[in-house]
Amino acid sequence: MLEAVGVRKTYRTGAETVEALRGIDLSVVAGEFVAVMGPSGSGKTTLLNCLSGLDDIDEGTVMVDGEDIAAMSDGDRTRHRASSMGFVFQAFNLIPVFTAIENVELPLLLAGAPAKKARAAAQETLVQVGLGHRMNHRPTELSGGEQQRVTVARALAGRPRIVWADEPTGNLDSETAAHVMDLLHHLHREGLTVILVTHDKDVGASAQRRIEVRDGVVVKDERLR
Amino acid sequence: MTTTAAPPAPPGRPGRDGGPEPGGPGRLGSRLFGCVLIAIALALVVAGVITPLAIVLSLPFLYMLVRKPVLRRLAVRNAARRPRETALVLLGALLGTAIITSAYVVGDTLRASIRSTVFTHFGPIDELVLTNGAANGARVRAALDSAHLSGTDGVLSLLAVPVSASSQGPNPRAEPTAQLIEMDFAAARAFGGDSSATGVSGPTPSGDGAAISRDLADTTGLKVGDSVTVYAYGTSVSRRVVRILPRLGVAGLRRFNTFGNLSPNVFAAPGTIAELERAGAVVRRPSSQVAPPVAMVAVSNTGGVLAGAKGTVGVKAELDRAVQGLPAHVATVKQDELDFADRFGRSFTQFFQQFGLFSVLAGVLLLVNIFVMLAQERKQSLGMLRAVGLRRSGLIGSFSLEGWLYALGSSALGALAGLGIGRLVVVAASRVFNSGVRRGGGLQLRFSASVGSVQKGFGVGFIIALVTVVLSSLYVARLNVIRAIRDLPEPPSTGRHLGRLIAGTVCGIAGVALTVGGFTGQQGILLLIGPALLGLGAVATLRTVPVRVRVTVVGTVVIAWTVLSFGVAHKAFEKAGILTFVVQGIILVAFAVALVTENQETIGAALRALGGGSRNMSLRLGLAYPVAKRFRTGLILAMYSIVVFFLVFLSVFSHLFGRQVGDFTRKLSGGSAIEVESNNANPVPPAGVRSLRGVTALAAASQTTGEFRFADRGTDKDYQAVDSVIGFDQSFIGNGSPQVREAVGNDAYRQILADPSKVVVPREFLSRSNGPPGPPPKLGRPVLIRDPVSGQIRTLTIAGTVEANDFRGEQVYVAQSFAQSFFGPRASPSRLYVASAPGTDNEALAASINGRFVANGADANSFHHLVTQDLSAQLQFFTLIKGYVGLGLLVGIAGLGVVMVRAVRERRREIGVLRSLGFSRVAVRRAFVAESSFVALEGIGVGAALALVTAWRTVQSHAFGNGLSFGVPWAELSVLVVATAVASLLATAAPAVQASRIRPAVALRIAD
Repeated sequence: MLEAVGVRKTYRTGAETVEALRGIDLSVVAGEFVAVMGPSGSGKTTLLNCLSGLDDIDEGTVMVDGEDIAAMSDGDRTRHRASSMGFVFQAFNLIPVFTAIENVELPLLLAGAPAKKARAAAQETLVQVGLGHRMNHRPTELSGGEQQRVTVARALAGRPRIVWADEPTGNLDSETAAHVMDLLHHLHREGLTVILVTHDKDVGASAQRRIEVRDGVVVKDERLR
Repeated sequence: MTTTAAPPAPPGRPGRDGGPEPGGPGRLGSRLFGCVLIAIALALVVAGVITPLAIVLSLPFLYMLVRKPVLRRLAVRNAARRPRETALVLLGALLGTAIITSAYVVGDTLRASIRSTVFTHFGPIDELVLTNGAANGARVRAALDSAHLSGTDGVLSLLAVPVSASSQGPNPRAEPTAQLIEMDFAAARAFGGDSSATGVSGPTPSGDGAAISRDLADTTGLKVGDSVTVYAYGTSVSRRVVRILPRLGVAGLRRFNTFGNLSPNVFAAPGTIAELERAGAVVRRPSSQVAPPVAMVAVSNTGGVLAGAKGTVGVKAELDRAVQGLPAHVATVKQDELDFADRFGRSFTQFFQQFGLFSVLAGVLLLVNIFVMLAQERKQSLGMLRAVGLRRSGLIGSFSLEGWLYALGSSALGALAGLGIGRLVVVAASRVFNSGVRRGGGLQLRFSASVGSVQKGFGVGFIIALVTVVLSSLYVARLNVIRAIRDLPEPPSTGRHLGRLIAGTVCGIAGVALTVGGFTGQQGILLLIGPALLGLGAVATLRTVPVRVRVTVVGTVVIAWTVLSFGVAHKAFEKAGILTFVVQGIILVAFAVALVTENQETIGAALRALGGGSRNMSLRLGLAYPVAKRFRTGLILAMYSIVVFFLVFLSVFSHLFGRQVGDFTRKLSGGSAIEVESNNANPVPPAGVRSLRGVTALAAASQTTGEFRFADRGTDKDYQAVDSVIGFDQSFIGNGSPQVREAVGNDAYRQILADPSKVVVPREFLSRSNGPPGPPPKLGRPVLIRDPVSGQIRTLTIAGTVEANDFRGEQVYVAQSFAQSFFGPRASPSRLYVASAPGTDNEALAASINGRFVANGADANSFHHLVTQDLSAQLQFFTLIKGYVGLGLLVGIAGLGVVMVRAVRERRREIGVLRSLGFSRVAVRRAFVAESSFVALEGIGVGAALALVTAWRTVQSHAFGNGLSFGVPWAELSVLVVATAVASLLATAAPAVQASRIRPAVALRIAD
C-alpha cells in the first residue's frame, strides 16, 4: 500500500540546516497497524508528514496505492488526501467555529459527497465513537477526550484507506487515551491501515509493527504480532 | 401655505458680491442648540488644556519606559515584531487624528485668509464714521476734530461713491463694481503713523489725473498713462491714470458693507464726485433718484494695524459721543472683521469636526478591535507571564504601553496627514467658495496652519487613542491564568448581574427622563438619545428574556423610533443641526449592528443556502468565522456602517437638491425671468430695459444694505447685516416677488404696501443654522432695522416669510416708500425684475442688458442661471463633505485588512488541518475572500439601508420643506458600494493569498 524509497528531508532554520530524514526506506502493507517511535527531534512527525503528502520531500519517492504522491501537484495531492486518508493530531485541531458534526462531515464534503450523505455518514461515525449525544456542540464545549474522539471520527468518516495519527493520546489522560486506542484498534480490525507516531511505549507496544526512528533514519523495524 | 425645500446650509459660502453673504458671520456660522453648545463650550475648554493633559496622561507610560525594563521590552518588541501589521494599525489609527487636525487647519485657513484683509483692505483704519453726502461728512469731521479723541493716532476724511469704470479704446473692459474715492494723499500717508501700511504713494491726483488700484488695473487692463472712464449719476468723466496703488491699507479700502477680495478703486482729485453729481443732475430726469456719495471719516487707533483693534471699544464710545446728534454711524470695521475671521474659522472647524466624528468613531472601534485581537492572539503568552509573576497591573501596563506607542506614533503621523488633508479640503473649498461668485473675486483662501492647531489635533487624537487603548487593556487583562495558558474559552459571565442590573436601571431612568424632557422642551436630540438609553436599559435588565429576543425586539423598536421621530415629533426637530444627524446615525448604526450581530447565524444560514448549501465549503468556512466571532465582526460592521450611513444620507440629499432647479427657479423668480442689479448711484434706467425685444413687463425696486436684529432679544452687538433690503412697489407683486411660505392673511406683499411698517423676511432670518432649515421667525414678531450709514433705527413687524434665500443672498422685503424715507436717496431703484415673452432666450437677453448698460454697472442674470449656479456650489460643497466623510471608509478598510492579516496568523493551525483534510489552496483563498466580503458587504448594506430609510422618512416628514420628493441616486450608490467592496477585497487580497500558501505540514508543525 505504501512504498517509500530514499526519502530525504532537510529543514533550514536561519543559517542552520537540519537533516530531518536521511534516506528512509519503508513499506507498509494494507491493513497494518504501524507505530513509529523515537525520541523528540528524531524525525517521527516529519516522516509522517512526508509519507502522507502533507510535506514535500527533497529526495526519494513515496508511492501510495501505486501513485507517487511526491511527484503530484499540490492540487492532486490535496484531492488524494481528501479521498483516501484521514488524520488524527495530538492537539485535536478541530475547527473551532464548526460543531462536532460539521467537523466530521468536512472531509466528506471536501471529497465531493452530497450534503445529506455526508451528514448521515458523520452522524453514524460520531455514534460509532460514542458521541451521538454531542453532535451539535462546538469543540470548546467538549472535553479533551471528546475532542479527540471527534478527531478520530473526522479521520474515519470518509472511510479512508489509511489513517495517520500523530501522538493521538499525547494530550489525554490514561483512561481516555486507552479509550481512543481501543477505538483505533477496533477500526484497524475492520481493515483500516493505521500509521501512528507516539512517544508512549504502551501505545507503541499495542501496534502490530514498531518502527524506531533516530536522527532521521530507521534504526529498528520489528513486527510485534 | 406652500413650502420650498432648501438644502442644509454649510457654515458659509461667498455671497454674490464676493464673499460670505453679508451677515455672513451669523448666517454662515453654526447655530447649534442646547447640548451642542455645551459640547462646543466643553471642547473649547478642553482645547486649552489638551497639551498638558496629553503630557500628564503620558507620565505613567514614560515612567514604565524608563523604570520597567520588562514591560518596556514586551511593549516595544511586540510593536516592532511585525512591522507590516504595525503599519496597518498606525494607518487605521492615524486617520482619526488626521481628521481632527484637518478640521483645525481648515479653520486656521479661513481665519487667516479673512484676517489678511485687515492689512489689504483697512491697514491703519480701525473705525469708519459714516454719513450721507459731503456736507454731513464735513460736520462729522469737525465734530471729531473738536472731540480730542484719546487712544487714536489719526483721522482721515474720504468721500466715496460706487461707480462703473472702464478702459477706453476699441475693446474697452469694464468693472461695474468700482468705487470712486476722494482723499488727501499726504494725509492718508500720514494716517496711522506708518505710511507703508497705507498703500498710498505720491501726491493727491489733480486735474484730469487719477490713481487706480492694482485690482482695477488687473480687471480692466489699464496702465499708467491710459485713460479710465468713470460712470456715475447718469454721466461719466475720464481721467488719466497717473499711478497704480497696491491692494493695501487705505488704498485697498473695500466698499463699505461688502465682503469681497478685490478693491477696484479710482482715486481722483477732490471735486470729481461733485462734478459728476452736477453733470448728472443736468442729464437725469428730475424724478429719477440716485444715491449720494458716502462720506467717511476713518479713525486709526494707537497700536499699529493689528494691535490697534484692541482699543476699539473705548474709541467707539468716544466716537459715538462725538457724533451724537449728527446723522452718522460709527462702524468698528476692523474689529468686526477680526471677530468675523475668528467666528468663521471656528465655525468651519466645528463643522468639519462634526462631519469627521464618524471617522473618528470608526478609528476608535478599530483600536478596540485591534486590542481585543492582540489579546486573543497572545492569550497563552500573557497567561504564562501572569503565571511567572507578572501582576495584573503589569499586564495592563504592558498592553497599554504598547497602545501608548501606537497612539503616539499614529497621532504624530495623523497630525502630519491632517495638514495634507486640510490642504486638500482648502483647495476644494476654495473652488466651492468662488464657484458661484459674480462680483468681487470671492474669498481667496491662503493655506494656513498654526502650530497650536497641529498641537491640538495631535493632542485630541492622542488622548482619544490613549483612552481607548487603556480601556481596552483593562478589558483584555481580565484573563484567568490557567484558562489562558491552556487556551480555554472564558465561561459565561456570572458575577456581574447586579452591576448590569444597576447600570441598566440607571440607563432606563435616564432614558425616560431625557425622552420626557425632549417632548416637553421640544428638543429633538433628546428624543433620540432618551429612547436609545431606555432600550439599552431594557436589554441590560430584562435578563429572563433570551438575549437574542431582547436585542431583536429592543433594536427594532429603537431603530423604528429613530427613523420615524422626525415625522412624529416634527416640531422638536425644527432646530436640528448636524449633531442631531450625527447622533441619529450613531444610534441607528449601534442598534442595527447589535440586531444583526445577534442574528448572524440566521443571516449566515440564509446566505449559505443561497450560496450552494453545505457543498460550498469556502462560503461555509468564510461565513463561519464572522458568525462565530460576533464581537469582532460587530466592531467591523459598525466601522463600515457608520461611515456608509452618512455618505449615503449625504448622497441622497445632494441628489434630491440637484433635481430641484426648476422648482426653485419657479418659486424664487415670482414670475420674472431676469434680475438686474446695478450701481445705486447710477441705476439702469427702467425705460431702457423695457424697450428691449422680448421684455414684457418690468418692476423696479431699491436695494440697500441694512442691519437687523430682533427687537425682543439681544443688544446692539446682535445686529446682522443684510445686503439686500428690497424696497418694492405694486409692480413687483407677481413680477419678482418670491413665493411666500407663511403669512398672516393672504398676501404679505400687499399688506406691506398698505402698512409700510411691515416686512417679509427669509425663513432663516437672523439664524445661524447649518443643518436643515430651522424654524421660521414668528409672524408678528418685531425686528429692528438700522441704517449702517446714518445709524437711525426703526421697528418693523414680520408679515410673512419666504424661503430659499441661500440662492440669492439674504433678502428682506419692505415697501419702497419705507425704504426711501429710511435710507433716503440711497434707496434708488437699482434692481430690476424683467419678465420676458415665452420662447425668449433669457441668457441672451441678460447678456444684452449687461452689454448695453455697462456704464450703470449692470449685472443681469436669469433666475434659472442664478439658481443653477448657486445649486452647483451647494452640490460641490456636498461633494467636498462626502469626500471628507469618505476618509472614514479608509479606517474601515484598513481595519478589515488588519483583522484579516491577524486572522491568517490566528488560524494557521486550522488552515493546516483543512489543507491536510483536502481543502485546496483556492478554497482557502475563497474562504478568506468570502469572509471579508461578507463583513464588508454586510456593513455597507446595514449603513446604506439605514440611510435610505432615514432619508426617505426625513423627506416625508418635510423637515427639509415640502418641495422635496424622495429619490435614490442609484448610480452614485452603486459606485460607492462597489468601490468600497473592491477596496475591502484588495485590502484582504494579500492575507487571503498568504493563507492559501500556508503549507499544511509547516502550519501543523509550528502549531504543535
